[in-house]
Amino acid sequence: MTASPALPRLARWRVLAELGLRMMLHDKAKLVGTLMGVIFAVVLGVQQLSILFGLLQKNTMFIDNSAADLWIVPPGTTTLQTGGLMSDGVLARARSTEGVALAEPLLFQTATLKKPSGGTEPVTLVGTSLPARLGGPWNFVAGGPEVLEQPDTVVFEDSEREKYGGLDVGSVRELAGQRVRVGGFTWGLLPFGPAYAFTELGHARDLTGVPADKMSFVLVKVRPGQDVDAVKARLAERIPELTVVTRSEYSRSVVITLLKEQLGASFATSTSFGLIIGFVIVALSMFSSVLDNLREFGTLKAIGCTNLDLALLLFCQAALYALAGSLIGLGLVGQMAEGIRGPKLVPIVPPVLLAIVPALMLVVCVVASTLALSRIRKLEPGMVFR
Amino acid sequence: MTTEQAIRARGVTKVFGAGGLEYHALRGIDVDVARGEFLMLAGPSGSGKTTLLSIVGCVLAATSGSVHLFGEDVTALAPSRLPDLRLRRIGFIFQGHNLIASLSARENVALVARMQGFGKQEAGRRAEALLDRVGLGDKVDNLPAQLSGGQRQRVAIARALAGEPPLVLADEPTAALDAQSGLGVTELLRELCREHGRTVVVVTHDSRIFHLADRMVHIEDGRIVEPLLEQAS
Repeated sequence: MTASPALPRLARWRVLAELGLRMMLHDKAKLVGTLMGVIFAVVLGVQQLSILFGLLQKNTMFIDNSAADLWIVPPGTTTLQTGGLMSDGVLARARSTEGVALAEPLLFQTATLKKPSGGTEPVTLVGTSLPARLGGPWNFVAGGPEVLEQPDTVVFEDSEREKYGGLDVGSVRELAGQRVRVGGFTWGLLPFGPAYAFTELGHARDLTGVPADKMSFVLVKVRPGQDVDAVKARLAERIPELTVVTRSEYSRSVVITLLKEQLGASFATSTSFGLIIGFVIVALSMFSSVLDNLREFGTLKAIGCTNLDLALLLFCQAALYALAGSLIGLGLVGQMAEGIRGPKLVPIVPPVLLAIVPALMLVVCVVASTLALSRIRKLEPGMVFR
Repeated sequence: MTTEQAIRARGVTKVFGAGGLEYHALRGIDVDVARGEFLMLAGPSGSGKTTLLSIVGCVLAATSGSVHLFGEDVTALAPSRLPDLRLRRIGFIFQGHNLIASLSARENVALVARMQGFGKQEAGRRAEALLDRVGLGDKVDNLPAQLSGGQRQRVAIARALAGEPPLVLADEPTAALDAQSGLGVTELLRELCREHGRTVVVVTHDSRIFHLADRMVHIEDGRIVEPLLEQAS
């Protein structure tokens, strides 16, 4: 007697995949418990990541919306903040560099707004050069970029109106000891520090006492058809005492700095925590499910299933847990993100996460199922006769 | 060994444990079972009859000795070949029926045939025919939990036969059943196997069904002690 030729594996595995699904659906308590583990991991992990991405975006949005191809910044600059000033000699050298279409100064200073009821609030005052408006305001909810052409006019953050003492378009307030008129409002331009307030460059210099030949940054647009990296190299050669970076390099540098110095550890901890808790719940649920059905697995071994067959059965269960849990979890995170969404924070769920999360949870669930698999591997088919 | 023999066991021993904790479950068993024979293994609890059944069923390795099934020395086979051999050559009936709780009667019976490579439709059709044969044609969609003990054991018999194995091994198939059901289930098993010339080995200590055996082998303390009953098949 000889055993018949081996069956087509795929057909056999299909039977076992169906069996795995049926066993999953039969034990509804375990199904719900395991799914809850995956959903918990997805919700906690993705929600933390979406908040992290939202916070990072708040701190790079100014650079990303500056309309400049290149930034000339003080050496060692890794984030966007008020710092040392550079002289207008830099501006002249930049403007005379081959390939530069536009080089405009930008002033970035902290100023204090006096409230009518007493007390003050800090703002990050941005002085932009007209008419180019590189680094100027965007995302208006009242007024528009043209209001900066009006004298003594400042554009404030809409979500801080109450905090600033009930601002309206046309309100007059004292900023840095001088009267200014509210010309419009932006929405959501809130970095980690004080909200941005925009005005014309000369007005900003008057308010902050910065000399007319000084500036915080120089923003450059390159001529159409020119290679940005080539212009950057020329500028770096002509202005060796400062640093020239592309917009994307500067943005990336802010992200890296924030992740290294402030946000990375805390968000990595909470995201990992979610994954670990989810892993433990899935591992224990699947292990417990195998223990509960040990006799069934023993029977399957006795009637001819191999360890590989049963590993596939567990793999299918793990994959279904991962897929269903990820979809439910991502749906919940989407709802939560909409609920949290506000001017101070817009949680961001990048589309790539929709692919990464199920894949990651698949890995988590499959690894978690190895505990159950190890029990099945040790299972003697002869146990069904005991 | 003649090709008429379904099972030939020689000098089979099984020792559990090691050192001072050794337990000799089988102490040199020699037994032959002819093709188509309905054999019962009887003996007191702990005598080794289930251990012998497990070794013959290739779910437990003997410590020494040899077992030939239909002429092939299965004790010499690599462990990796045994699952496929069990799937294709041996039908099992367990004391506790051991049906898959999440599958209907039809699906439980069809499972073996599907694992053997039959399509879902064909396996289902064969399962329904077998369930009809064991008197459960109207219960094909019932889950095990919706069946009585006797009905579950009938499903287990149908499952054991679904792969059309030449050898059926049953471990105390009447243990959880009342006298009437136990007798009925054993008669059914004998009838179905006889139709196709299948060899059956039943482990039991239920004297109410002894008369159904072609031959009985009595085991005590890991040894065959005497044939209790012989009947013409």
